[in-house]
Amino acid sequence: MKKLIGRILMGVAILASSACTKIDNYPGPNASFQGTLISSTGGNFPTSGGSTQIWLQQIGWTAPQTIPSKFDGTFEDTQLFSGGYKVVPTGGAFWPVYDTVTVNLTKGTTHNFTVTPYIVIKNFTATLNGTTLTLTYDIDAPIAAGMPTIKDTQPYVNTTALVGTGASIQVFSDANAVTINKDFVDMTPADKSMTLTVPNLIPGRTFFVRVGVRLSDSYNSSNFSNIIQVDVPKQ
Amino acid sequence: MKIIKKLIIAICLVTGALITSCQKLDVAPKNIFTSDVIFNSQAGIQSFLATIYQDLPIEDFKYVPSSNDGAESPAGFEHGGNDWMSFYNEAACTGEEVGPWSGMDIGTGFGFWPYGDIRNVNIMIAELPKHVADLTQTGVDQLLGEAHFLRAYYYFGLAKRYGGVPIITVAQDPGAPLATLQVHRDKEQAVWDFIGAELDLGYKMMPATSDAGRANKYVAAALKSRAMLYAACVAKYGSVNFVDGEARASGAVGIPASAATGYFQAAYDAAKLLDGVYSLYNATPGDKVQNYVDLFLKPNSPENIFIKQYSIANNTAHSWDDTMSPRYFTANALSRSYPTLDLVNLWGTLPITNADGTPTRYDNRAQLMQQLEPRLQATIYFPGATLRGLTFDMQRGIYPSFSGTAAAEVAKPSNSRSYILASSTSTLYQGVQVIGFTGPWTGDDELTRTGLYVRKYVDYTRLQATVNLNTSVQPWIDLRYAEILLNRAEAAVELGNTSDALADINLIRDRAGAALYSSIDLTKVRNERCMELAFENQYYWDLKRWRTADVVLDKAHFKGLMPYYVFDENKYIFLAEPELFNREYTFPKQNYYEPLPGGEIAKNPNLLPNNPGY
Repeated sequence: MKKLIGRILMGVAILASSACTKIDNYPGPNASFQGTLISSTGGNFPTSGGSTQIWLQQIGWTAPQTIPSKFDGTFEDTQLFSGGYKVVPTGGAFWPVYDTVTVNLTKGTTHNFTVTPYIVIKNFTATLNGTTLTLTYDIDAPIAAGMPTIKDTQPYVNTTALVGTGASIQVFSDANAVTINKDFVDMTPADKSMTLTVPNLIPGRTFFVRVGVRLSDSYNSSNFSNIIQVDVPKQ
Repeated sequence: MKIIKKLIIAICLVTGALITSCQKLDVAPKNIFTSDVIFNSQAGIQSFLATIYQDLPIEDFKYVPSSNDGAESPAGFEHGGNDWMSFYNEAACTGEEVGPWSGMDIGTGFGFWPYGDIRNVNIMIAELPKHVADLTQTGVDQLLGEAHFLRAYYYFGLAKRYGGVPIITVAQDPGAPLATLQVHRDKEQAVWDFIGAELDLGYKMMPATSDAGRANKYVAAALKSRAMLYAACVAKYGSVNFVDGEARASGAVGIPASAATGYFQAAYDAAKLLDGVYSLYNATPGDKVQNYVDLFLKPNSPENIFIKQYSIANNTAHSWDDTMSPRYFTANALSRSYPTLDLVNLWGTLPITNADGTPTRYDNRAQLMQQLEPRLQATIYFPGATLRGLTFDMQRGIYPSFSGTAAAEVAKPSNSRSYILASSTSTLYQGVQVIGFTGPWTGDDELTRTGLYVRKYVDYTRLQATVNLNTSVQPWIDLRYAEILLNRAEAAVELGNTSDALADINLIRDRAGAALYSSIDLTKVRNERCMELAFENQYYWDLKRWRTADVVLDKAHFKGLMPYYVFDENKYIFLAEPELFNREYTFPKQNYYEPLPGGEIAKNPNLLPNNPGY
């Protein structure tokens, strides 16, 4: 019996050592693609979660992939296969870019895209009075004609610097949205100068705040302000 | 010996010459059905048709619109023995109900691609004319009509998801060159026109009556009214609210607005063909609640146009009874999707608040429900309703005493409200149970999150001990006359024929026990549709074809009806509060069309460009 077990184990050992000798000899994804979305009005194009993406499709393949933009307008993917790709930025609150660019991706490829935002948020200020935060800002449109309707505007408040759609505290953010539903060309100068209030912030906490203006474009996407830090003093 | 040897050789030669081989190897194989076996008899054809009918894209009790969020995988049109999770339904993603979906998670579909089934229909259409001798010319024509109807049904399932798809009318030869097999997409408009033409053939060729579960000419007309209304709305509303992209520029998605009127007219004309053939179920007009409940359960209803049947013996039974009501009323399992107060408010705001803003006091839970429209009572189980001898005792908690307005109370943070809540039915407050056996409860989603339960289609006649998984056999009514009247009314109002629309809607409202309208408009017609067809897997597609999904489901949160017991008054009040999970639902605009399945694009790159936004 012991002999038998020994033989079986020997057999198993031989089979195990001889199996699985095929090695995947294809190179791993070692190309990378990075860059910045630049606003045609100057500076980076600020984005948020679940909105702007770099769409890319390897030439000769049918399935596209996407690289989500970071909140500061940069993007990076270091796990791509080398080769020619068609690339285009999509999904954000900027005038649609239909022409894809062909780039040859290798290690460290960098490419910047310039986009024209629908709305630019200017003169963004925040004033804290007790636990009530008042946000004021002006909006402007680089190209007013033919722009999608402006749906609403709202603050985004979070406890980390990652703040935007899908990364905000609902009672401070979505709950303080203001409906607009107007075309930019129909707005008076007073309409374009906006004020939002965020009441009942918690004393002794630090918040990160920005504002967004949402449009009824293909993606119901928003243009964002820069992010500011607000320290609510202890009472 | 020599003689024997010679003899043996001679015998061998003779037998060798006589018994020649390889003459009759060309025998019909016994384990493969040839086309003669299938198409020479009605019985053979019936068995062939059974598969085609079984796979029809009917969004029934078992339909799972996506495999997201833990729903059945692969998702889609199920016909197995254990497709029990009926709460993963479209209604629970659109605000008719709230359910196990964590948001609007069905928008990209499940990769529906029924070209295998379409191939079966194409084979049938090619084969049938060769069998006139056995089936007679009339028999062949009737079956051809049925085949055209079935093919239209499959293409309708494709067109409403993807827009333009390749129209394949002849079974492809697998040996043909790749270039001819990789067919380009047709334009969306061409696909809808094809569907309309196929259904016209179905109407022309099929007989006026059929076995339950099979099509006849009126089923084709009914489906045509549904399909043409969809196409008309794509033309009218899709040309205003759309996502731009290459597929739109090429016409693979989108229809010119100018085509809308033609499609509305086609929908109206098709619906009108059913005039006098079917009628609304009205067997017990004296009890309009019971009548509306029975409409979904009684066989031989004159309202049923096309049904899908289920059987325990054939292992196809569904689980609606066991998964729409909580365990309290059944023998097993659980419920997970619940009607919203937002749906109920289509009938008009519930009388739960007085003019001064204070909550209306009720002596018992059932008092609220008793004032409501019979159809509403028959669609949703409200607090105080009964089933199988037990009461829906929904109670969110107890107020030792209540003062002030409902709005002020609901606006308070939960920790400064004076109510008593509990996480178990065994918790008592001064001897009174705090929460109901049927919820609402925040611990999990197996009790209602909204204070309401689905009633439509629930078979109240079954004994509790028999209500188990995979034991429900009430048929799914895929096409019923009320929908045709609604299709007709909507098309009529879009065409400016309001008097026809008013008459159609009042027929439905009369049966429902609602006050009749004296005038009509598009909003009234659409609302009537949402009320009459609630939970029937129509609303999601209505939102899509009206192109209002991205407006209705824009960071949407839905409400529930929370019943409380006010201890010092011995009364019940109802507060409109966010459903207990307070989930958010947002419909991305590109989901008006689903993405073409990636696997199919890999096989056929000619399907590109994909729909806009993907």
